[in-house]
Amino acid sequence: MKASREKITQPDKIDLPQMLDFYPLQDEKDTRISQFFKNLKTGQLTTTKCKTCGSVLWPPRVVCSGCMSEELEWVNLGTEGELYAFTEMKAGAPLGFEKDVPFCIGLVKIGSLLISSRIDEARYEDLKIGQRVHLKVVELEDDGRVFYRFKV
Amino acid sequence: MRKVAVIGGGATRCGKREATWRELVQEAGKAMFDSVENLSPKDVEALLVGAAQPERFTFQVHVAPLVAECLGITPTKVIATTELMCASGQAALRYAWACISSGICDVAVAFGVEKMYMRNMAEAQTNMTCVLDREWDGVNAMSAPPFFAMTAQRHIHEFGTTEEQMAMVSVKNHHYSTMNPLAQFQKEVSIEKVLQSFMIAPPLKLFDCSGITDGAAGVILVPAENATKYTDSPMLIAGSGQANIGNAVANLASISEWIPLKLAVKEALRSAKVSLADIDIAELHDCFTISEIMEYEAFGWCERGKGGKFIEDGGPYIGGTIAVNPRGGLLGCGHPLGATAILQSIDIMNQFQSEVPNGRLVKDADVAVAHNLSGAANVHSLMVYSRR
Repeated sequence: MKASREKITQPDKIDLPQMLDFYPLQDEKDTRISQFFKNLKTGQLTTTKCKTCGSVLWPPRVVCSGCMSEELEWVNLGTEGELYAFTEMKAGAPLGFEKDVPFCIGLVKIGSLLISSRIDEARYEDLKIGQRVHLKVVELEDDGRVFYRFKV
Repeated sequence: MRKVAVIGGGATRCGKREATWRELVQEAGKAMFDSVENLSPKDVEALLVGAAQPERFTFQVHVAPLVAECLGITPTKVIATTELMCASGQAALRYAWACISSGICDVAVAFGVEKMYMRNMAEAQTNMTCVLDREWDGVNAMSAPPFFAMTAQRHIHEFGTTEEQMAMVSVKNHHYSTMNPLAQFQKEVSIEKVLQSFMIAPPLKLFDCSGITDGAAGVILVPAENATKYTDSPMLIAGSGQANIGNAVANLASISEWIPLKLAVKEALRSAKVSLADIDIAELHDCFTISEIMEYEAFGWCERGKGGKFIEDGGPYIGGTIAVNPRGGLLGCGHPLGATAILQSIDIMNQFQSEVPNGRLVKDADVAVAHNLSGAANVHSLMVYSRR
């Protein structure tokens, strides 16, 4: 008997799967650091500080990596930093960021912290090591999640 | 602790291969078993498979048993996949070495494999962007090229290193890879060609970056006292070192100095009972040109900040202070993540046996070091190999 044949299909497109979505989950149902994102929504960049040993932890944590204490408090990092290093993504951006190319990425020094961030509203040629940069909050249109960036 | 020997190894040609992950495994596995006499796949008691991202690049997990099945290996003592991103293959080597050294078993295979070419290369780039902390670095598109671009920028800023000096690393390693038939890149490049190549993330240009690569390789390890049953010219594992500080870019010990590498070097030399001057060959992790420059410094072949001058003066060439990457490095050979450390070890064994072309032979080499970094250069892994 001749083998039977049937055409089958797969969907052309599917929604961006959660694990290919770079932005962290922010709701209190999903994370114990939802306060970070609530603060960010009001324009405040914050992180956790250990009440026991005084360590300022970045990224925000629920246990202090310095002394294993769970007694942490939120501290405000302000809205300004100093550009420590930067580059411009001209190729090789991951899915979801391709439409932004070229865009700048940098390390922003705030106190003792060196925070990686997108540097918006500038081209590579415009930037200098040591330059002041200012906090900017971006919000995802579809679900309202927020994230920090810096701009000149 | 028993002394451990590598008795044989085999690998695929590296590059953009018209072959699947499991076909690469079969090619390298056959080459590995063909390289030794008196040993069959059924003799292998431990199988460690270095694979960085099979679940993302080929949508397959639980890959060590798949390798075992493809190669007719039926492990009776230890089987596992080892993941340490760019050092995944070295993780496999280390655990295989520990299995033999500790007496857990008498025959172990350390294997490494990566299939990185995908139909949609943006998906491959996406995979490479969850290596650093995905939620706090990856979200900013911080993959390897921008991170190492900023490393280079700081090195230039603090020490006056030049893009020409960085380009010299690429010129050297592409020169050696023209004499390596397994290498992805078989053509010489000039300083001008490197400097004029496509800008990826300033100051890094295309030829400052190692390639996206498909490849696989495996080696067989036994106790040194058993080695001559299988080969006349085994390679000994003399020692090792490994160190890690931090993970997210925010928590590194330094951007412009690789402190964990300095710690790993110290431990590797101590455990191998050798000094820096005893090392004849260094296979270093030149994922980017700036990496190799910073490695000259961390090993101590030159002072901190003088890595650029070191290559300008010919220090890392065969016949110079230390032969660095006579295999062709990651820049010349490509970087199939899980396979890279295994490829380094096979080439060092070939060097010890004088089975490489004259143009890249390090004559009378007795001691070699192989290095892999991973992540944001926060982990450094070293193996020391010796001829006797």
